[in-house]
Amino acid sequence: MLRVRARASRGATLVSGDDLAIRRIRWTLAIFAVLVLASTVKLVQIQVVDAADLAAVGERQRARTLELPASRGRIYDRDGDVLATSVQAATIYADPRAYRGTHTPEGREVPPAAETPVVADALAPLLGIDAASIQQRLEQDRHFVYLARQVDHELGAQIRALELPGIGVLTEPQRVYPAGSLAGQVVGFTDIDAEGLQGLEARYEHVLAGQPGTLLLERAPGGLDIASGIRELEPPVVGTDVVLTLDRDIQHVAELAAAGATERFDAVGASIVVAEVGTGDVLAMASAPSFDPNDRGDEDPSDRRNRAVTDVFEPGSTQKALTIAAALEEGVITPTTTLEVDGAIRVGGSTFTDAVRHPTERWSVNQIMERSSNVGTIQIAQALGDEQLDSYLRRFGYGRPTQLGFPGESGGLLLPHTEWWGTSLPTIAIGHGVAVSLIQLANSYATLANDGVAVAPRLVLGSVGDDGRLAPVPAPETERIVSAATADAVRAMLEDAVHGDHGTGSLAQVDGFRVAGKTGTARKPLVDGRGYSNEYIATFVGMAPAHDPQVVVAVMIDEPQPIYGGLTAAPVFAEVMEAALLALRVPPDGAGVDLPTAVRLATEHAASVDAQAAVAAADEVAEVVEAGQQDAPQDPGTDDPP
Amino acid sequence: MSAITAPLRRSRPTPETTASVQLRVVDEPVVRHTLAYAVVMVLVLAAAVFGAVSLNALAAGASVEARALEAQVDVAEREYARLIAEVATLEDPARVRAAAEELGMVAPGPVRHLTLERNLSGDGAAPIGRTSDAATDPLKPLLSVEH
Repeated sequence: MLRVRARASRGATLVSGDDLAIRRIRWTLAIFAVLVLASTVKLVQIQVVDAADLAAVGERQRARTLELPASRGRIYDRDGDVLATSVQAATIYADPRAYRGTHTPEGREVPPAAETPVVADALAPLLGIDAASIQQRLEQDRHFVYLARQVDHELGAQIRALELPGIGVLTEPQRVYPAGSLAGQVVGFTDIDAEGLQGLEARYEHVLAGQPGTLLLERAPGGLDIASGIRELEPPVVGTDVVLTLDRDIQHVAELAAAGATERFDAVGASIVVAEVGTGDVLAMASAPSFDPNDRGDEDPSDRRNRAVTDVFEPGSTQKALTIAAALEEGVITPTTTLEVDGAIRVGGSTFTDAVRHPTERWSVNQIMERSSNVGTIQIAQALGDEQLDSYLRRFGYGRPTQLGFPGESGGLLLPHTEWWGTSLPTIAIGHGVAVSLIQLANSYATLANDGVAVAPRLVLGSVGDDGRLAPVPAPETERIVSAATADAVRAMLEDAVHGDHGTGSLAQVDGFRVAGKTGTARKPLVDGRGYSNEYIATFVGMAPAHDPQVVVAVMIDEPQPIYGGLTAAPVFAEVMEAALLALRVPPDGAGVDLPTAVRLATEHAASVDAQAAVAAADEVAEVVEAGQQDAPQDPGTDDPP
Repeated sequence: MSAITAPLRRSRPTPETTASVQLRVVDEPVVRHTLAYAVVMVLVLAAAVFGAVSLNALAAGASVEARALEAQVDVAEREYARLIAEVATLEDPARVRAAAEELGMVAPGPVRHLTLERNLSGDGAAPIGRTSDAATDPLKPLLSVEH
């Protein structure tokens, strides 16, 4: 078939059908090529040039990433009893936009989802918050407001069931301390976002915190999750559990004793440290007044301080054991050395006297320790010399923090001997002009108890591994300070200070055990550091059993009445030491009693308890009777102090 | 839609036949049934859609079930954490002491160590030293370092 096509310039041209088809195909290919090219350009722009931005936009539109909080590690005592843990709590929040009218893009008015008074009235009784306060928060010009954080999970479920418009419930971990104030100053606490603020919670934040995870979800335009959509989970890494050296039962006894001593002796406060000999493990570390980390806010901030570590004081006569140990080690004296001890000694223009006036006596070193003679100790220190005394005190741990690493730990105060003046040697030798923390003092005695080998104190036994077993921390550093013979000799002297006829620490005796220890009474320096006040620190540090010490207990009472360590700190020491020895099942080394005596003592105790109960019952009856006599005049004479 | 016919086959012209086209036998055009083709295509498409929807439904069902299980795990973990805290609270020495005193108990008197005139037959049977109940308590970590 032939077709004729007219051309203006060249006349008629004959074009076959195949040529026409070929031409059309070429045109089609050309158009297609242009389209492909355009598509390719657009593709390159989308996939390469704008890829990152578009991917981000797409992800924002369809994907939702949730942060999954990591569960914070628990804190256990040495027996696996929980001191701090986390539970799931509910947090109630509101979106105030739900209570404001708005307009659609088309201009139509959208009424509020609910009225704020109605919502506030519904929430107020559940949250225990004033309705007006809730309403005020609901009317804020914000997108998100907390109404209550970390409330009981069941309460959150109740509120969720109400389906109140604009009200939401989140689940978040809450740090709790099941034993309340027990070891509160040691364990510390976290803020509401579970970040360690104080104590071991802050010290081991990096271990306890864990790593939060993420959950990527795909959601539909309406905001609902797509069940079969993308779901990428990066699970959170749970925080590591930490096991402390504290013993919950001994800690409880120590806290009771500290609180009791504060009340009984009308003191400002008291601190107690219980340490295991040879391991450096701190079994208890108590301070009074204390606080409950679950219920913070009202207490004095100073109550949160772990005073046994952060506060320092002059050790007083408890220091004499270290001075004498240094002199023994240096061969300046021997246990059998005797000295002529006057009632007073003048050094550097100052006169130092013994607590009890006495004529010149010839006392052995043992007697000097037993009687806590200032003069005799100063004479020994003079023979030892500044440099040696300074050196030994530092080796016993004075003047630097222990290796506890506890937040706010004080290293104490001990001037270098090159900066000492005329009265420094005698004052430091008897425990003045030097300041230590209670943990430093306890650890120096633990060195004597451990045959002269110092072991760095520690509060953490280890962490709990993935297999649920204890992964112990490396053993603490050890260093020999004095020989075993020197330590043994000093322990014998300390034993006489408790059990000797003239010992100042007789109230520290524990039935069935031989105790070695030393009292201390020291005036508190003035706040400005110039001179001393009329207030005192009473201390007692000791160990038991004396011939094979297992436990060291150090007691410090701040401004007690009476002021003497032998009358105040010593009986508190006995109370705590007895409980510690019993808890650790340490066999007694002292004289026991026979069965008839034990029965008699138990009977007497029972009668005493019955008598106390009878008195208490009588008091209750008296109170009831007194309450019934409403019109009867009150007799001030009957208000006897307890 | 029109029926598809086979293209006409042309033999290559030979030098002898260039002048005139010879008649030859060709195959009868194959008749294709448009309706049958359409039905097959619809069936295939329907099967594909049904399969895709079914797979999607199965995946969604599995996903919902997985989330239900995760919710159960969350509840169980929350309850476990709550119970651990509750046990620790109940074991608090101060609470135990207060409860004991409320029941009329009193603190024991001083501990007395008896001096026995002779050893008892059971002496030495029990190991001396402290025993820990941590090993038997499922709520506590194993504090023994022995593996």
